[in-house]
Amino acid sequence: MEHGGKRGKVSPHDRHAGPRPERQPNLRNTEKMEVKGKKKKKDIDELKKEVVMDDHKLTLEELSTKYSVSLTQGHSPEKAKEILIRDGHNTLTPPKTTPEWIKFCKQLFTGFSLLLWIGSILCFVAYSIQVYFHEKTAKDNLYLGIVLAVVVGITGCFSYYQEAKSSKIMESFKNMVPQQALVIRGGKKMQIDVQDVVVGDLVEVKAGDRIPADLRLISAQGCKVDNSSLTGESEPQSRSPDFTHENPLETKNICFFSTNCVEGTARGVVIATGDYTVMGRIASLASGLKTGKTPIGVEIEHFIHLITGVAVFLGVTFFVLSLVLGYGWLEAVIFLIGIIVANVPEGLLATVTVCLTLTAKRMARKNCLVKNLEAVETLGSTSTICSDKTGTLTQNRMTVAHLWFDGTVHNADTSEEYTVQSQRRQEKRETTGDASESALLKFVEQSFSSVKEMREKNPKVAEIPFNSTNKYQLSIHCSEDSSQGHMLLMKGAPERILEFCSTFLLHGQEFPMDDEMKNAFQDAYSELGGLGERVLGFCFLKLPSSFPAGFPFNTDEINFPMSNLCFVGLISMIDPPRAAVPSAVSKCRSAGIKVIMVTGDHPITAKAIAKGVGIISEGTETAEDISARLGIPVSQVNPRSAKAIVVHGLELKDMNSEQLKEILQNHTEIVFARTSPQQKLIIVEGCQKLGAIVAVTGDGVNDSPALKKADIGIAMGITGSDVSKQAADMILLDDNFASIVTGVEEGRLIFDNLKKSIAYTLTSNIPEITPFLLFIILGIPLPLGTITILCIDLGTDMIPAISLAYETPESDIMQRHPRNPKTDNLVNHRLIGMAYGQIGMIQAVAGFFTYFVVMAENGFKPLDLLGIRLNWDNHFLNNLEDSYGQQWTYEQRKVVEFTCQTAFFVSIVVVQWADLLICKTRRNSFFTQGMKNKILIFGLLEETLLAIFLSYTPGMDIALRMYPLR
Amino acid sequence: MRRQLRSRRAPAFPYGYRYRLDDQGEENQNYLADEEEEAAEEAPVMMAPDLEEEEEKEEEEEEKSQGQPIGNAWRQKLQIMVKYLWDPERRMSLAQTGLILFIYFFFYASLAAVITLCMYMLFVTISPCMLTFTERATTPGVMIRPFAHSLNFNFNVSEPDTWQHYVISLNGFLQGYNDSLQEEMNVDCPPGQYFIQDGNEDEDKKACQFKRSFLKNCSGLEDPTFGYSTGQPCILLKMNRIAGFLPELGDPVKVSCKVQRGDENDIRAINYYPESASFDLRYYPYYGKLTHVNYTSPLVAMHFTDVVKNQAVPVQCQLKGKGIINDVINDRFVGRVIFTLNIET
Repeated sequence: MEHGGKRGKVSPHDRHAGPRPERQPNLRNTEKMEVKGKKKKKDIDELKKEVVMDDHKLTLEELSTKYSVSLTQGHSPEKAKEILIRDGHNTLTPPKTTPEWIKFCKQLFTGFSLLLWIGSILCFVAYSIQVYFHEKTAKDNLYLGIVLAVVVGITGCFSYYQEAKSSKIMESFKNMVPQQALVIRGGKKMQIDVQDVVVGDLVEVKAGDRIPADLRLISAQGCKVDNSSLTGESEPQSRSPDFTHENPLETKNICFFSTNCVEGTARGVVIATGDYTVMGRIASLASGLKTGKTPIGVEIEHFIHLITGVAVFLGVTFFVLSLVLGYGWLEAVIFLIGIIVANVPEGLLATVTVCLTLTAKRMARKNCLVKNLEAVETLGSTSTICSDKTGTLTQNRMTVAHLWFDGTVHNADTSEEYTVQSQRRQEKRETTGDASESALLKFVEQSFSSVKEMREKNPKVAEIPFNSTNKYQLSIHCSEDSSQGHMLLMKGAPERILEFCSTFLLHGQEFPMDDEMKNAFQDAYSELGGLGERVLGFCFLKLPSSFPAGFPFNTDEINFPMSNLCFVGLISMIDPPRAAVPSAVSKCRSAGIKVIMVTGDHPITAKAIAKGVGIISEGTETAEDISARLGIPVSQVNPRSAKAIVVHGLELKDMNSEQLKEILQNHTEIVFARTSPQQKLIIVEGCQKLGAIVAVTGDGVNDSPALKKADIGIAMGITGSDVSKQAADMILLDDNFASIVTGVEEGRLIFDNLKKSIAYTLTSNIPEITPFLLFIILGIPLPLGTITILCIDLGTDMIPAISLAYETPESDIMQRHPRNPKTDNLVNHRLIGMAYGQIGMIQAVAGFFTYFVVMAENGFKPLDLLGIRLNWDNHFLNNLEDSYGQQWTYEQRKVVEFTCQTAFFVSIVVVQWADLLICKTRRNSFFTQGMKNKILIFGLLEETLLAIFLSYTPGMDIALRMYPLR
Repeated sequence: MRRQLRSRRAPAFPYGYRYRLDDQGEENQNYLADEEEEAAEEAPVMMAPDLEEEEEKEEEEEEKSQGQPIGNAWRQKLQIMVKYLWDPERRMSLAQTGLILFIYFFFYASLAAVITLCMYMLFVTISPCMLTFTERATTPGVMIRPFAHSLNFNFNVSEPDTWQHYVISLNGFLQGYNDSLQEEMNVDCPPGQYFIQDGNEDEDKKACQFKRSFLKNCSGLEDPTFGYSTGQPCILLKMNRIAGFLPELGDPVKVSCKVQRGDENDIRAINYYPESASFDLRYYPYYGKLTHVNYTSPLVAMHFTDVVKNQAVPVQCQLKGKGIINDVINDRFVGRVIFTLNIET
């Protein structure tokens, strides 16, 4: 939004598309004075405010002058061109896509990679110091530095490739078909591309069209628009030129950009285009939001802090120690760097990336497409899910739910298979029109007989279409047996229908209307209405024989009777919940996840669906329910006693953050209804402020800011809008809310398994560092060299560590509460304590024992090794005496040293077998868990074979300086 | 109770960690209070002991300064003591910390015990006299004397300072070869055959004499400067001791030197002492230093009598004999030695 920049050109567009006019000058001044960064922030805050416009309040004349356009002729083509040049195309600015190379660099230089880079740089520093001060130096540090850099590089490329792959799938969603719009310019109707529509254009829309821009209607014929992607209302809204509501979102004379016209035709003046439309504002709000770190990112950061802490502590301690022991400054610095680098787990970055990728793939197979690798785990730590209703929890398909006739309520099948099936049939028949009418049609087709046949048998001779003043629809048909004459059928708002009736149908017989019947009607009506369903009444009248076939019915001047009809019954319709949702919600519940419904729909419908899917569980009541049950006013109900609450958007508007916090804290079952996109955002922020990790599901544009703000935004793959998909971190390819449960399960599993992987990988750090430490302190020949360390970290440890990602859950992870992100860390002191303090120590002892055995068997007894370092590493000393009086040349004893290193390496491999089995389980015993993980067995074998290969392959003595053992 | 105390005291002790701790308390109480037991314990484990102690001390000080009634103070103290041992809020106690420390102590103690036992087993299994594996050093390496951290012999004949240290080094080295000492300590065994001594492994072995006088002109007896003063340096060559090493019978290991790179004639003449330029068989085998205490390594002296002066001459001395390897690429000291002579006049 560049209000400040556009200030010079005063255009009607600019003036009215922006925020509240009276505030604008003030705002602009402040904006102008602010530095750029602050300005952006301000804009976001501004965008978070509700939409303000006044075009809907203007009369047509005022409108005409405001946009200086004739309401019959439209703009002249020249003027339209002028405006187009001034305002730009009528398209949403796509969110700034980060260039590919920046994305790539991000993969390379963030989080864990940074640690490895620092390690690598330190290696190079150490190497250059060595080269500078000594002529002949071991190239270990150089190799290590290069290997570290290569590891980071490869892992970076890998994860970049992974993410690029999923974003490619994203791209495929984009619907690139250019839309056309019918505009009137210079009095002529013309088809132009939507992107060329300008402010003030006269636009005509008809059923099936997408609204090309924000329109102020000047005329309409039975126009209905589907606003669900903007407001979440599942029912089509009728549109007329009349100003009906202060709120621009509620008034009937405004149509919004990118909503759909489902019925009728309308003509309107474009009042805003592109980014200045309501939809555009929401989209830019979404793209302007900054998202925080993913929980796993935070965990990895915490882990890095711990590791760096340990590394620096060890490094400095041994730096001081080596100075005390009489080493030179230079050597001490080399040691310091060496120890710090040795603490860097080289293989872990790759392990973590691969583990996450594996899970992402597994989730993709279960229809959860993850855009960002780190988001894989987020769902696992999610403690609150804010779900949109329409299209996410519900099928977004009006369906007949209940029928009331013969004095009883009958249930209709609303299950998904059923509706999908009927949908298919309906598609075959290519019906268009109002959602509730197609619902009726579907219902009849499904449960009665072919509508087509019926229509053929009973041709329609006259019709009064539905309008909002009449609130009924009437049609007259020829009767099946033509002798009977005509039949008048009427449907509409139940109370209106009842007014026309004097009799009612009961078990096929007509009875005169009585009070009992009227009460029964009222009860049924309110019962069905209370379920959040849209209720229609039906009645009919057999026209007397005075209306023979061919009678000219006139619907304008009514020439037929329209009273004393016979009331048949009620049909109620609802957008039914998806079949899998209730069980998914209850699974989330038992997993300790709070499910909140946030919808743009009406409270009653929202509550009904919430009850239907278990968001408001059976037996819990809202304050209103309690007041109704106890017969006391709502204000007297103790708000604490009501666990559930339905909050209206209007109430939310007046709340401060404290009150919102109160609501979020004190109620376990919450439904927010009639919420605007901005309010959804506020709700998400409110939850996050309470420390919750929030997942947001949604499909509409109205959800996209919340999707972006959430720790993990989940968009719907089939019904979701492009904007929502762009803002989301995860996409449910099958639109199935139940997939979220899978996601949670996988996320929790990967968290547990990552813990195991990290514990496994970290453990071998100790037997890798201690040799170097003892080398410094005791002056023994180096028991484990850089190359062997790399062989462990990047070779033998790799596959076993990854195999832990395939570990099955130890207990029912869905019965657990979500982890507390503050205390339940990925890597905590306990894990480090176990890995470093216990298992690592055992491993180190095992390794040293092997080392001493090999040394002793080759002639160097342990006690003689102490302090031998300087002589041992002296190139010119070629007659070093061992414990038996033998004399060794430099190379000869180096061969012994490298043999020892190989032995140390092999012993680490062996102890890592055990470690793998230890890390395999955290709570269960090994026997409970079993050895079902085939990858793990493969990992064990691979590790062993690789060790054998490295040790015994001829030529390894030259390539890696590893020697065969006997 | 605890919470009250804390909040009362909080402003007085604005340490970062205390606040952090408080936050945790809040966190546990409010949202997401019901996480796993494990998680609640984890965080405080590391910082609990000293913190708790400090807290208690402070508490005591505070009480003193406030001068509360004695009974009340006692009760408070008791409460704090109880909390010190068992804090229900954090499900954490001193006892537990102590237990953890104890477990670690016990763990490391047993680890130490295990490694000690293993080491003991190691010493039991390996023989103190004879090596277990010998394949890492099968052929002897070669070293030369004098050795001065470098294999470049640069000296100026007319400046004794430049070669004096070679002479000192050689003299020192040859002290052990003094005829008197050798005659006293070692036996004169027959040449040309192995000096094999049967008997128990751990029995003391006798050693053959190698007298300084064997080296003739390079013994330093006649020319105490070992020829350095005349630009005819003596360099002693010593074969590394390898336990059990036996040269081919009848074919003792010979030494032969030549110019490594460059003109063959730069050396012109070398006198070897003993004249055979070989290591006599009687000095083998070597039984290891435990039993073969007075073993004297045989030497071969090279007397470079007519080396080209004022020019670096790279010399390679190789051992020749059956079973001797002298061409390992990456080890230039197995079976050979390379040094440069740069004698200035």
